[in-house]
Amino acid sequence: MRYNRWFTPWVLVIPALAWLLVFNLWPSINTVILSFTNAKPIGGGHFVGLKNFETLLHDEQLRWALLNSVIYMVVCLPFLTVLPLLLAVLVEKKLPGITFFRTAFYTPVVASAVVVALIWQWILDDRGLVNGLAEKLGVISGPLPFLSDQWLLLLSAISLTIWKGLGYYMIIYLAALGNVGRELHEAAAVDGAGPLRRFVHVTIPGVRGTMILISILISVSALRVFSELFILSGGKGGPGGRDNSVVMLIQQYSQGFEGNLGYASALSIVLFFVTVVPMLVLARLNRRGAEA
Amino acid sequence: MRRRRSALVASLAAAALTLAGCGLGSEDSGSSGGAKPTVDAGAQVTGEVSFQTWALKPKFTSYVEGVIKAFEAKYPGTHVTWLDQPGDGYDKKVLSQASAGQLPDVTNLPPDFALSLAKQNMLLDVAAADPKLNEEYVEGGVQAYQYQGMDGTFGYPWYLNTDIDYWNATKFAAAGLDVKNPPKTFDELLAAAKTMHDKTGGKEYLMSRLPGIGDFTNAGIKILSDDGKKFTFNTTEAAALLDKYRDAYKAGYMPRDILTNEYLGNSKLFTQGKVAWTTGGGNAIQDFVKDNPSLKGKVVPSPALDTPPLYVQGLSVSAKSKNQAAAIALARFVTNAENQAAFAKIVNIFPSTKASASDPYFSKSDGTPESDAKVLAFQSLAKAKVLQPPVISGATNDFIGQQISLAISGKISSQAALDAAVAKANQLLTQ
Amino acid sequence: MSVVTDPARPVVATEAPKSVRRRRSSGFNSVSPREKVARYVLLVFVLLITIGPFLWQLSTSLKGSGEDIYTRIPRLLPAQPTFDHYKEVTDTIPVWDYARNSLVVAFLVVGGNVIGASLAGFALSRLQFRGRKIVLGLFLATLVLPGEVTIISQYVTVREFGLANTLFGVALPGMIGALNVLLMYNAFRSLPVEVDQAAVVDGANAWQRFLYIGLPSVRGTISVVAIFAFIGAWDDFLWPLIVLTDPNKYTLTVGLQYLSGTFSNNPRLIAAGTMIAFIPIVIVFATLQRFFFKGVEEGAVKG
Repeated sequence: MRYNRWFTPWVLVIPALAWLLVFNLWPSINTVILSFTNAKPIGGGHFVGLKNFETLLHDEQLRWALLNSVIYMVVCLPFLTVLPLLLAVLVEKKLPGITFFRTAFYTPVVASAVVVALIWQWILDDRGLVNGLAEKLGVISGPLPFLSDQWLLLLSAISLTIWKGLGYYMIIYLAALGNVGRELHEAAAVDGAGPLRRFVHVTIPGVRGTMILISILISVSALRVFSELFILSGGKGGPGGRDNSVVMLIQQYSQGFEGNLGYASALSIVLFFVTVVPMLVLARLNRRGAEA
Repeated sequence: MRRRRSALVASLAAAALTLAGCGLGSEDSGSSGGAKPTVDAGAQVTGEVSFQTWALKPKFTSYVEGVIKAFEAKYPGTHVTWLDQPGDGYDKKVLSQASAGQLPDVTNLPPDFALSLAKQNMLLDVAAADPKLNEEYVEGGVQAYQYQGMDGTFGYPWYLNTDIDYWNATKFAAAGLDVKNPPKTFDELLAAAKTMHDKTGGKEYLMSRLPGIGDFTNAGIKILSDDGKKFTFNTTEAAALLDKYRDAYKAGYMPRDILTNEYLGNSKLFTQGKVAWTTGGGNAIQDFVKDNPSLKGKVVPSPALDTPPLYVQGLSVSAKSKNQAAAIALARFVTNAENQAAFAKIVNIFPSTKASASDPYFSKSDGTPESDAKVLAFQSLAKAKVLQPPVISGATNDFIGQQISLAISGKISSQAALDAAVAKANQLLTQ
Repeated sequence: MSVVTDPARPVVATEAPKSVRRRRSSGFNSVSPREKVARYVLLVFVLLITIGPFLWQLSTSLKGSGEDIYTRIPRLLPAQPTFDHYKEVTDTIPVWDYARNSLVVAFLVVGGNVIGASLAGFALSRLQFRGRKIVLGLFLATLVLPGEVTIISQYVTVREFGLANTLFGVALPGMIGALNVLLMYNAFRSLPVEVDQAAVVDGANAWQRFLYIGLPSVRGTISVVAIFAFIGAWDDFLWPLIVLTDPNKYTLTVGLQYLSGTFSNNPRLIAAGTMIAFIPIVIVFATLQRFFFKGVEEGAVKG
């Protein structure tokens, strides 16, 4: 095959690889170096050996953050893998006005954090929409502390993530649905398969690869959740900082002039190992599924 | 092909070197004396100078441009480049400028920003070049730019502000309280909060603020040891203060959401008409009424409880400035009595120059609540103090706040929370 | 050397049972009235959940200055509707200049991602070469690499390249995203392997297969990449703030910050600014979204 010389694939890959190395990989190596230092954002620091990692072991907030991250992932994963797919199927069909709906469903993804915070605080605060409705219906006697109880705050943040994620993953699914092609659906319809059957036997296998990719993305972003918890806790991580995520801790430690970049870097490394595990599991699943 | 690749490798290597450099620079600032200016006050003022302000555009564009024009006229041959940075992300902007060695010649820095930069010898000791500094500026303002363990003054105080109390007259009336005679101490405040809660069946709140370092200072608790190396606010007095807040919270005198509220939370709740008390600057009434016109005529100001807080902004001069003479002259010119007084007349801030104290504009009210508030705030300035030491910022501040809210929620004892806060803050201080 | 492979092709349901033949005559694209109603009910239901922030922003931006915007129960319809705040925004800041800067950045980022990610995605999924797995692993790993503390070192890099205070410097780090490479990889992978093999038999080289077979069939994913890239570049605040010094070069998100000053904040004005920044996103989304449905629509033309 004289058309494909050995370097052809590399020519195609090099630009992306170069970006990856300069803007992702190298800063990450720098992070690893910093994690053994007591560096500040300006003025530097010096090597302190494993001191940061020792501190990590006794960091109560980190334990809460890790627990929160795992809960986050376990709850988000099923919801966000399935609901956006259903939504994609719902808006896939051409109906009058469908462009409007497709666009509208995407708006939470691009809404500004300030507005999202205002709305959700309005919905969730002591005299907010949810508590108001529930009290009127007599479901509860006093308001539920959605924004000040450690676990309810976490739950509220998870709902916010799911709400924001719907539109985002919907459009990835939509593109994948487009690739499935209509012939298969038609063939199945001709064969008398109802909508549910077609969904299970045509749609789902057709987007299987995408589903795996999306579940990887969901678990990674659940473990690295930041803005939702930040918004709902007003940036403070809830009472005692027990509603922090690892990324919020990293942000707290690295912010400002007196930030502790060394410790923040050590936290980043913990986060890296925590995220790699579910990714490897899902990637393995993918391969096994493909071979079967 | 090959040449391009080697260029890429070279640039990667260059990037690698600078990255490794970032954050791991030399640390030779063990005994910080601050950077001394290399010019004296009499040096000739001419040439280019850059000037960075924080969120003054577009409202004060014409004011700043006017000051710059006057400066350029006074010192022929000078040319000022004005940069105004947006309100959000200013710390990150200054941080990246500082780590790139590109601080503007004259920069508006609050005292805590200036502290970190001064520690790295990035700011000039302006007092060394300007012996009149202590004579012409108020003591509190100058002190805000002098730091424990460091020799020098690292900025010209620019404008000052303080907080006074604001009360919602409608809610006071509903609870049978007299808004003309509002609480004057913390204990009176607590009693009024109880009355408001009891009289309105728990529907209205007075307080909506968690205690902070400022409240400890006000209660006479020592925050930092004299050598500035250790935090000391985990005393039984501090724990007792937290206990009072915790009991008030538990009894329902404060809205539960305050445990998660962000900075300025109480003024937002006040604007929304959800609580009857907030603190705010001398111009706060205008803002309340703008966002919530139904508050018009219902907001009553009074002096702050205990010692009012002092907020200072200042202009610092970069140690790397290539034109120190012009930079110092500009910082001094912008902060002189005349220019500050003019600034204070278009926005509610107060001058840091001693000469402004006699200006009747600040000391005479025209009888409106807005004007009363301004005069009250101006009078408060005289006894206002910086309540929160500038070393408490960023992560330290967050962590102390988290422990306090944990104590208020009743999950751990006040003393345990304070001990944890002090331990963590010390760890960050000596990192 | 290159061999076309197809590592993971979804097994399609060929075993769909041939049983009762309902709905046969009603073509695939036509919808029964009952289904139509059910679909619209669902659509409106989701709409109510998702569109809140948008409406809130819109209504705040239209509320008159004398109106309480913090009522206990948010009022959706402005009592004194006005366009004044939009006018004030355009009077206060040079919206058009900032929008142009944002567009320059966004186009660079979109272009870089569409080209760079497609090329890499194609090579990784359709061409066999030594080191392929390692490269793929690197891209996957990037998703979990700790990026939270790197913004200042990124700035130092961009400055080393001599690109501080340029729009190109703002665009640079985001011009090829690892996630987009993976999305493209995934899209190319789901193409039927037979088509590709036929092309190889016909003597098509990798480049031709990329241009004439690969690209046309992944237009949906390319438009997703374009949307993600556009929105990412358009909405970013902190990064352009750090890179740019000269206010004439500010992007819209940074420039809109002028609406919230140190001494006062008018939420109505900020809402109007946000709405202005929101419009291009809507346009880009509405334009590109129809490419997702290429499969269905092209099929309709054919059939």
